[in-house]
Amino acid sequence: MLHTIKEVFRSPKFTIGLAIFVVMLLVVFIYPLIITDDPLDIIGLGTFFEPGIYVNLYDGLESKTYVLKLEDAAANRIASKLGEQERLDIQEYLLLAGVPEEEIDIEDTEKLLELWLNNYDPTVRFPGSTSAKRKYYARLDASLDGLLSTEAAIIAVKNEETGELEEKSLVKQDDYVNVSKVANVRVLPLGTDNFGRDMLTELVSATGVSLRIGLIAGLVATSIGLTLGLLSGYIGGWVDDVIMFITNLFIVIPSFVLLVLISYSIGQEQRGASTVAIVIGFTSWVWTARAVRAQVISLRHRDHVNLSKLSGHSVAHIIIFDILPYIASYVVMAFILQISSGILAEAGLSILGLGPKTTDVPTLGLMMNWAMIYSAHIMGKWWAYFPVIVVIALISFSLNLMNTGLDQVFNPTLRD
Amino acid sequence: MAKVMLEVNELTTKYITRFKENVYAVDHVSLKVEEGKSLGIAGESGCGKSTLALSLMGYYFPPLHYTSGEIIIDGQNITGLTPDNIRKSILGTEIAYIPQAAMNALNPTQKVIHFIEDVVHAHFPDATKKEIYDLARTRFETLGLNASVLEKYPVELSGGMKQRTVIATSVILGPKVLIADEPSSALDVTSQKKVIKMLRDMMETEIIKSMIFITHELPLLYNVTDDIMVMYAGQIVEKASAEKAVFDPLHPYANGLMGAIIVPEEGLRDVKLTAIPGVPPNLKNPPEGCRFAERCKYAVPQCKVIKVSLNEIGNGRAYRCIFSEDELREFYKDAKSN
Amino acid sequence: MKGYLKYFSGKLAWFLVTLVAAFILNFILPRLMPGDPVAIITQRVVQGMTSQAGVQKVYEQYAELFGTNKPIHEQFIIYMRNIVQGNFGLSFSQYPRPVADILKSSIWWTIALQFPAIIVGWLLGNTLGALAAYLKKGFDKVLMPISIFISNLPAFGMAVILLVIFAVRLKWFPTAGGYGFDMIPNFSWDYIKSVLIHYQLPFWSIVLISIGGQAIGMRAMSIYELNADYVKYSRFLGIKDRKIIGYVFRNAMLPQITGLALSIGTMVGGALVAEIIFSYPGLGSTLLTAVMGQDYPLISASTLIITLMVLIANFLIEILYGVIDPRIKAAQVE
Repeated sequence: MLHTIKEVFRSPKFTIGLAIFVVMLLVVFIYPLIITDDPLDIIGLGTFFEPGIYVNLYDGLESKTYVLKLEDAAANRIASKLGEQERLDIQEYLLLAGVPEEEIDIEDTEKLLELWLNNYDPTVRFPGSTSAKRKYYARLDASLDGLLSTEAAIIAVKNEETGELEEKSLVKQDDYVNVSKVANVRVLPLGTDNFGRDMLTELVSATGVSLRIGLIAGLVATSIGLTLGLLSGYIGGWVDDVIMFITNLFIVIPSFVLLVLISYSIGQEQRGASTVAIVIGFTSWVWTARAVRAQVISLRHRDHVNLSKLSGHSVAHIIIFDILPYIASYVVMAFILQISSGILAEAGLSILGLGPKTTDVPTLGLMMNWAMIYSAHIMGKWWAYFPVIVVIALISFSLNLMNTGLDQVFNPTLRD
Repeated sequence: MAKVMLEVNELTTKYITRFKENVYAVDHVSLKVEEGKSLGIAGESGCGKSTLALSLMGYYFPPLHYTSGEIIIDGQNITGLTPDNIRKSILGTEIAYIPQAAMNALNPTQKVIHFIEDVVHAHFPDATKKEIYDLARTRFETLGLNASVLEKYPVELSGGMKQRTVIATSVILGPKVLIADEPSSALDVTSQKKVIKMLRDMMETEIIKSMIFITHELPLLYNVTDDIMVMYAGQIVEKASAEKAVFDPLHPYANGLMGAIIVPEEGLRDVKLTAIPGVPPNLKNPPEGCRFAERCKYAVPQCKVIKVSLNEIGNGRAYRCIFSEDELREFYKDAKSN
Repeated sequence: MKGYLKYFSGKLAWFLVTLVAAFILNFILPRLMPGDPVAIITQRVVQGMTSQAGVQKVYEQYAELFGTNKPIHEQFIIYMRNIVQGNFGLSFSQYPRPVADILKSSIWWTIALQFPAIIVGWLLGNTLGALAAYLKKGFDKVLMPISIFISNLPAFGMAVILLVIFAVRLKWFPTAGGYGFDMIPNFSWDYIKSVLIHYQLPFWSIVLISIGGQAIGMRAMSIYELNADYVKYSRFLGIKDRKIIGYVFRNAMLPQITGLALSIGTMVGGALVAEIIFSYPGLGSTLLTAVMGQDYPLISASTLIITLMVLIANFLIEILYGVIDPRIKAAQVE
């Protein structure tokens, strides 16, 4: 036994798979201890905030300011508003407005802006330009306003008695605040989702729930498969015939279809994460049953089993002590695969809108479902779907690696 | 003196395991088989006898690797030949092989005749289908097999029939040396008899010129082969004529093995059936001294430290032990009288 | 020939049995669940309706349609009769369009997309798996981890990734649909071109997903066959390695065919979800609309059709397998 475990850990595939899996488990357990927020809390008003560090502007104004003389500050400021694309767009507009091409130098910011100010007219409509384009130029114009100014911005407060604005402080262009001195800063490493929830917190929580779904589905599927396989293989006769008939039937009838039918029949309100997991388990035991049966049949007439029979041991005793130990490695491998296919099945169901109900807990499938419904993939909001796919792939990759590793240890012909 | 068909000098081959360890499963083995003679190789499973069978072919593929020594077939040293030369001009024509598990030795999705066509074409690309069919038919019928077998798929043949088909296929090109690795141990008694008869017929009709027969069933060797060699942990521990090996074994291991058999000869009936306790040593790190010392009931402390070589004692006899012939015989006499 | 006939009739009988079982499951599963489906359906349809008599009337109408007011065996007869006549009732979400009509327009998209994709994926996967088993070393070391990783991507994951790279970023292909949204299906060259362009991404995402799993299976099968006794024996008879590799791959391929038959159900499930990502006008998207619109008749009919398609594909593969593998014919004559 000890030797077998040693062998298993000598397999690099198994070890890598296990390492990935354990790291994910640790994150799932430790993260909520540090970040205690409810993963379903809606913190952002709006959809799909980009990943980044969010600094409270009000607190920023109140914080101590530092003056830093940085040479490229002005250039950076301009570049953030007036990039390569914007300059080309301006050139295009100016050409349409009749400015000779040789007068336009898109590298010279000052001159370009001057030309723009002199020639841009929001009321003019060029033939062939769409209204989207016109709106774009209006927005561009607004954002360029005051770009070259070096004046400080004025912070004013309303006088409660007179109702007039009174200057409170000035924010100069070389004023800085230290982020660590600002009272409210929120890091959103993966931004927010379509509801404005912190993606990372939600993702960690969803990973935990999905793993639980996989585990429950795997346990249900493996227990059913193991029981039926043992009965069918060991008892044989009509029991075998009946069980194999059912098993073969469910092998050809797609489990996906059964899942859809059952999930739909249960109804959205009754579908908790655990219910979905159990349903998945109930539709995915067939392979385990078939394989366990085949193994039991090959074991049934081995000498040690016959000996046990002759010594008058009960069927239960024989199954537990003389058969199970020999198929244990296989059952463990099947269980590992069931976990990963359970997680995938949940994701598939959720995309169809048949996943667990959305108000309880997040799951990887549900997150994917919402990202798709809100077209995150088409709008380029990668943080809403890509991390989810990566996590699903990592879970299933690590489990499969472990499985392959075990397979190589237990089925030496597969060794390379 | 008769022509030597197969001569092997100090052949050593090794397995390289997945963890890059070397396992010397055949360790400096030398042997000689003359024309018209057969040699039996005996030993427990795992003693290296099947590996020896593979090594004798001179055609190696991972995890088995050639290390040193030479193989000479009918005067031709094949150790220097390229693998492709060996494949083309040695295998099947000079030396042929009958595998241990003949049950799965034939390609399951091919008719027997098509497989034979592939075998013949590998050596004689120009042979026509008709020629091959005639050859196969004659060979099969000489060996007592119905020609209709040729048109069948392996699944359609019974176990015994499959084994005999494999044997007939192996000798289709009339090899000089035939190596039979446990050709009959998986079969029922009737099929076993037929297989043995077939092997003897092939020797008599000179379809094959010499044979090496490998088995763990000693009575079979005594009945089939002229000489017997006993292997233990990759080395030869005893070499003698069949008669001597069975009735006057020298090495304690050989003696133990012979003790474990029932030979239907008068006067041997009362020999006690004694299995040898213990397991063979791990060949990844073979012991310094005698490899059998751990299990030997006559072992003395030196056995574990002194490297023992094969003692040649004339008449083709040899044994690997630090004791003299007489000392050993004395031991066995004492053991028997107790 | 006699052997094959026996094999064929066995498979045919099994096909019919699974067919009946599929009907029974499709019929019984929704009825097994707690609650009155007709009441739930009625509730949805009559939202906003105030007249109690009207609600009652709608309820009775649906009870009649599904026959829930009759004993269960009669319900089954009604159900079967409706199916045989191709009458799946009217869709709720696209009322009053008949369900059969909706399915008729989506089923061909799915068939034309999935079966070629699965077969191409199977062929490519098997070739790669065989190469990995044979070449080992570099090819195997690189290819296998990639295959394992790709085959672990869920089908929808692959679909999304392809869509983002090739449709959103590179704009080589459209992001959604089966043909240009401004087109009406006809036999013009433009239309066919548009269909072909829309076909690429869904097709390749299904192909890529099936390659991985098949490659892994074929590799394991080939390694198993490479270690088979006949390989060693053939080598020692001097047969050329190339010829032996031929035996091995043929023999390894054969079980992969039955493997395809057995796994086609699972593959179709994944592929349907991939269809949804691309809003491809096939059964996957139909199923999604049905679920979203709580369209019970449409869900029931789609799942039935999907099952039938899988069963038929399965049956055809088994029949083909019987023709290809000589052992089948031989083993039947005993």
